[in-house]
Formats: sequence, structure tokens, C-alpha cells
Amino acid sequence: MSVADRARDALARLVDASATERILISSAALVLSVLIGAVLVLVAGRMTTCSPSEAVYYFGTGFCYDPIVVFDRLFLGALGDPFSGGWSPDGQFAVTLRETTLLVFTGLSVALAFRAGIFNIGTQGQMVVGALATALGVLWASAFVSGVVGTVVLIPFGILVGATFGGLYGAVPGVLKAYADANEVITTIMLNFIATGVALYLVSGVFKDPDSAANQTVPLAEFAQFPAVLFGARQNFSLVALAFGLIAIAALYYVLEHTAFGYDVRTSGVQPEAAEYGGVDAKRTIVASLTLSGALGGIAGAMYVMMVLGTFQTGIPAYGFDGITVSILAGNNPLGVGVAALLFGVLKSGTTVVQFATDVPPQLVGVLRGLIILFVAMPEFFRLLAKGLPGAGSKPEAVATDGGTVTENGGGADE
Amino acid sequence: MSDATEPTGADDLADDGLFERYSSRTLFAGATVAAVLALLVAGALFPNTLAGTLASVLTSENTLASALRLSVPIAFAALGGIFAEKSGVINIGLEGLLIISAFGAVYVTEVTGGVWLGFVGGVIASTLLAGVFAVVTIKFRADQIIAGLAVWLIALGLAPFASQVIYSSPNTPTVPTTGSITVPVLADLPFFGALFSASPSVYLLFAAVFCSWYVFERTAFGRWIRASGENPKALDTAGVSVTQVRYAAVLISGVLAGMGGAALSLDLGQFTGNGPTMVNGKGFIAIVAYLFGNYNPIGAFLSTMLFAGLDAVQTVLQLQGIGIPRQLIRITPFVVVILVLALVGRTRLPEAAGEHYDTEE
Repeated sequence: MSVADRARDALARLVDASATERILISSAALVLSVLIGAVLVLVAGRMTTCSPSEAVYYFGTGFCYDPIVVFDRLFLGALGDPFSGGWSPDGQFAVTLRETTLLVFTGLSVALAFRAGIFNIGTQGQMVVGALATALGVLWASAFVSGVVGTVVLIPFGILVGATFGGLYGAVPGVLKAYADANEVITTIMLNFIATGVALYLVSGVFKDPDSAANQTVPLAEFAQFPAVLFGARQNFSLVALAFGLIAIAALYYVLEHTAFGYDVRTSGVQPEAAEYGGVDAKRTIVASLTLSGALGGIAGAMYVMMVLGTFQTGIPAYGFDGITVSILAGNNPLGVGVAALLFGVLKSGTTVVQFATDVPPQLVGVLRGLIILFVAMPEFFRLLAKGLPGAGSKPEAVATDGGTVTENGGGADE
Repeated sequence: MSDATEPTGADDLADDGLFERYSSRTLFAGATVAAVLALLVAGALFPNTLAGTLASVLTSENTLASALRLSVPIAFAALGGIFAEKSGVINIGLEGLLIISAFGAVYVTEVTGGVWLGFVGGVIASTLLAGVFAVVTIKFRADQIIAGLAVWLIALGLAPFASQVIYSSPNTPTVPTTGSITVPVLADLPFFGALFSASPSVYLLFAAVFCSWYVFERTAFGRWIRASGENPKALDTAGVSVTQVRYAAVLISGVLAGMGGAALSLDLGQFTGNGPTMVNGKGFIAIVAYLFGNYNPIGAFLSTMLFAGLDAVQTVLQLQGIGIPRQLIRITPFVVVILVLALVGRTRLPEAAGEHYDTEE
């Protein structure tokens, strides 16, 4: 009983304690998603074929995939195996930090819009636009500088270009929402398709690197890319870029919590009518927050070009969509984005380790991403879970605002 | 806890522009018709120009045939979206339902060898996922938009994952297709003959559009769905469970979207799961289609035909090579969606859409 009691208490706290609520819900969602992921791995392991010697056995049944190995590789592998010696600053941990850096920016991008009450699903497209603009801008500017001076000048320049174009692309759905009442969820998704299409057109045509078979721009000079500091040279990770990410977290936190603009954004998100009544220019706030959100997405693109690829290539990984997960997991709090980005960086980097060590398809992480969002979106689930555990006592009556009490009817509760 | 009677404020703003919005919608539809007519006239007068090419493409029977084919998944998903949203649950996960049913249909067909068994399998897969979405949003009161995104992302991961596990590739092997049904004599009609020589799923779609229209206009259940989205409290007072109506509506949206997804993949006999998968945004276009169609099944079907027609024309134009780069022609449907949305502006959502409703005793 005591275990159940403690679990129930934990779950009750998870719902009630407002300060830690978010963190607990996010952690519970994560654990639950990993558990379901494990079941999925087992089921998948039954559906594929392998020799008996390769199979693992649980409950007297053979499975082709072992979820314990999968999650061991996913998490410990992503940290560069710190417990088995052989940890190196150039190993998998550098990949994890690289992914984290990119996710910090896409996560912040989504979080800022969310705080203003706007669903920016278009971070992916804004990232594509920012990445292409950065690649072309830096390529053009590389002609004028070189060496250390080049690095010092070109990196801020590249970030600025990425932010500007990402921001402009983010302003489009902002203007459409503010002045034409067009739903931003749909427009941003459409703009993602458009960004990808136009980028493909440009990079397979006018801006194509003639020496490459891939659809990519001419590679940037070495001095126009982020320098590796301490670790990650082999893994395309730069501590400098991560530092930019941390600065962005702190800056966005400050802007949201301590400036007049941040106040406008937050009140627009929570109580749009009250905000407008209180003198907030709703239209301007919508455009401004989506522009800033797009700029952060554009910076993610700039980082991707100047740190990871060294060129723009079509088929940018779905960092923008992962940013949605990161932001939701973080409760749209900039500080939380840092933690959630690290966590998701582990997942993304671990995926490649899993792919290397097992036969489990890498799309598993895509499923986990969806599950995490689903669970974080339903705190009520954990509330009912807490009630349902043994020893919960009498059900507290949930009060409906009309004075009636909540009844639980409507079947199909069993998931 | 959400309050069903709380005004959302945004709706207040929407009230004063009803006529304006209606007229902008009509204006857009009128402009489209006028543009097409002008193009046809210009094409007839100057057959060797771009207008001539476009006109011949537009009047070609093949264009109508492929527009019908392309509109099937979008229109089914749009019908599903109407059911869910009219009942007060915004189902933005239609894309995910299409993906999961497209894969499910091919998988079941491949296992059983029966195309129609596969079709049913796809519908079941989509309905199950819609069921999860219903529980999550109705019972656990999750934010509908976020839960819908989750449904999309789960399917976007799950279908290629399953394909990779089973077939060692995100693309499935090919299976038999649904083929086509040809009505004798009528199929020989010029242009409209395409209506009578089409895949069975096209006829299913016609039936579904009519049935949906009938349900909303002529049955008590249709009125309950409307009330559940517009004024749940009144429905509750009348003794009908809002929760049950919403469950039913969301499950119906799963069935309809499932038919769309199954038709999509079985039309080609394959599921392709790379990148955004073969569904490639059709679920989101469906949302715009029913918004533009003002939640009317027939309106949704017609606006789907507009998007699908564009898509059909762009495919033909790609093949003909009229000097506009292929990659740019390909994005026209997405651009048009944005233009439509910007011109039509705010559509009047059902009053209580997106809000949780607590049943009263």
C-alpha cells in the first residue's frame, strides 16, 4: 500500500503543486512515453524476423528487439558512454550537444509564439529560409574577409542574416493572422511546404554548387564556420554556438519576464481581450512575436549551416517540429527549453547510436516525440490516474463553474 | 477547469462581419469562375498561347479524372473534419489519420490479399487513432490543437516505423489496387465521361458527401452535432449527452478520414513513407477546404475540387513544360491555400469549438 500511497501522493502533487507541476507532468509524460515506446519495440520485435540466437527472451517469449538495449543505447550512448570508460570530448556527447544547440533555438522560437497565444508550426520553414539566406549571405561576404577576422565578422553576420530572413518569413503568417484573420496553424504549415519547395528550386538551379551532385550551395570557407572549442571538432559541434544558445535562453527569459514587450506578449497569450482593453496593440504584438519567433527559427538555420553542414543542402532535418515538442515539454518557459532541449538532444543523438547498435528503425524517436506531446497535453490524465490508485479515498468532487458537479460518463475511457 | 458558458471574446469580434465574410467568400468563388471562363475564351481565341495550353488542359477529360482522384483523400478528410469540428472538437490531426489509414490499408491488403479487406483495415486503424484522440480531448480535456498535432506526429512516426520493421523500408511493396468502375455509354461522354469511369472510392466519396449533407440537414443526430458545437448547454438540457455526441462525431471523423487514407494508398497500391509521407499535407488542405466550404459537406467537396483541380492542372503542366520550373508549380496548391485563407479570413467557428464541456447532472 505504501508504494501506491506514495505514488498517489506524487501524482496528486503532480496535479496540485503549481510550482513543480509542470516539471512533474513533463517527467511523467516522458517516462510514460518511454514505457509505451518499450512496448512498441517489443511488438515490433515480434513482427520482424531474426535468428533464434539473436532474439531476447522476456516472459518466455522471444523478441527480435530488446527495449532495454534500445533505451540503454538511446540514453547512455548519447552521453558517450560515461560509465564504460572511453569517453571522449569528440564522441557521441558532442553530437548530443550539437543537437541540443539547434533545439534550443527552435524550442525558443516555438515557445515565444506559444506564450503570445500563437501556434507557430512554421519554425521548420523559418529555419529553412534562415539557413539558405545565411549560406548565401556568408558565401557572398566571404570574399571580403578571411582568417580569424573573417570568423569574428562572418559568424555574427551569418546569424544576423539568418535571423533577418527567418524573421521576415515569420512575419508573413503574423501579418496574415493580424490583418486577414488567417489561422496561423494552417498558414505556417503551408509556408513550411512553400519554403522547402522554393529552397529546392533555388538550390537545384541558380545557387547550385556545380561541383556537387547533391542539391546544395557552394561550401563555406573554413573560417566562415563555427570554430571547435575544447571538443567536438570531428562531430561538427562548437561550444561557441552553445554559448549563443545559452545567451538566447537568458535573453528571451529577460525579455518575456522583465520588459514591457514581454508583458504584452504574455498578457496577449493568457487574456487577449483583457490585454487589448489594457492598451496592448494586439495586431502589433501578433506580428512582433511571430517575427521574433521566426528570427529564432532563422538563427537555428544559421547555426545548422555554419556549425553542422558548412553549406545549405535540401532536406534539413525536422528540428522545427522537434522544437514544438521541446517547447511543450518545457511548458513554454525559456529556462525549461534549455533542459528540454538537452533531453531531446539526447533522444536525437541517441537515435543514431540505436541505429548503429540495433536493427530498430530510427523512426521510433518520431513516435516518442508524438507521445510526449500527447501526454504533456493532458494533465487531467495524471489527475485521474492519481484518483484511480488504491487508497485514494473518496473522490473529491470536481466543481464545474456552473455549480454542477462533474460526472464521468461517456464510455471509451479505456485506452 | 474550463467553463462551457464562458464567452471567448474572439467570437464577439466575429459577429459584426458576417455579411462581409460571406461576400468575400462569394467574391472569391465568383472570381475563380470568371477567371476560368476568361481563360477558356482566351484559349479558344488564341490556341497557340499559354492561355490556349491552359484552356486545353482545363477542358481535358484527364484533368477532371485526376482532379477527382486527387480530391478523394482531401474531401473524405474534410468531411471528417466537419463532423468533429461541428460537434465542438477541432480535429487538426486529420493528416495523421490519413497517414495511419494509408499505411494500414496497404498492410492489411498485403497480408490478406483482399483490397477491400485492406480498405476496412485502413478505416479501422484511423478510427482507433481517432478514438485515442477523442479520449484524450474529451475525457482528459487535453488542448485540442496540441493533441491534434500529437496525433499527426505519432502517425508520421508510426507508419514509417512499422513499414521499416515489416518491409525493411519506409515504402511498402506494391499491392493490388482498387481498380476502376466504368459505366457503359455514360463513360463515353466528352469531359464528364471522367465522372463515370473512376475508382470505386470516387463513387464512395459522392455517397459520403451526400450522406453527410443528409445527416446534417435532415436528421436529429445532425442537429445534436450542431448543438454540441454551438450550444452544448442547450443540448444537455434537452437530455442528450454532449460527451457521447462528441465521441460519436470524432469517431465518425476517424472513419471518414480513414476511407480517404485507404483510398489514397490503395489507388496507387503502395504506401510511401519518406519525409512527409505520401499524404504530404492533404490533411491540412482538407481543413482549409472545409473552412472555405463553410462547414457544408457539399461546399467542402467543391472547394476540395478547386484545390485538387489546381493540383491536377499543375501535374499536367509539369509534364508539358511551359517554362515555369517544376518545383515552383508544385507549390501552387499551398500558395492558393494561403491566399484563400487570407481572402476568406476568419471563418465562424462553432461557438463552443475548442472548449471542453462538463456535463451537468
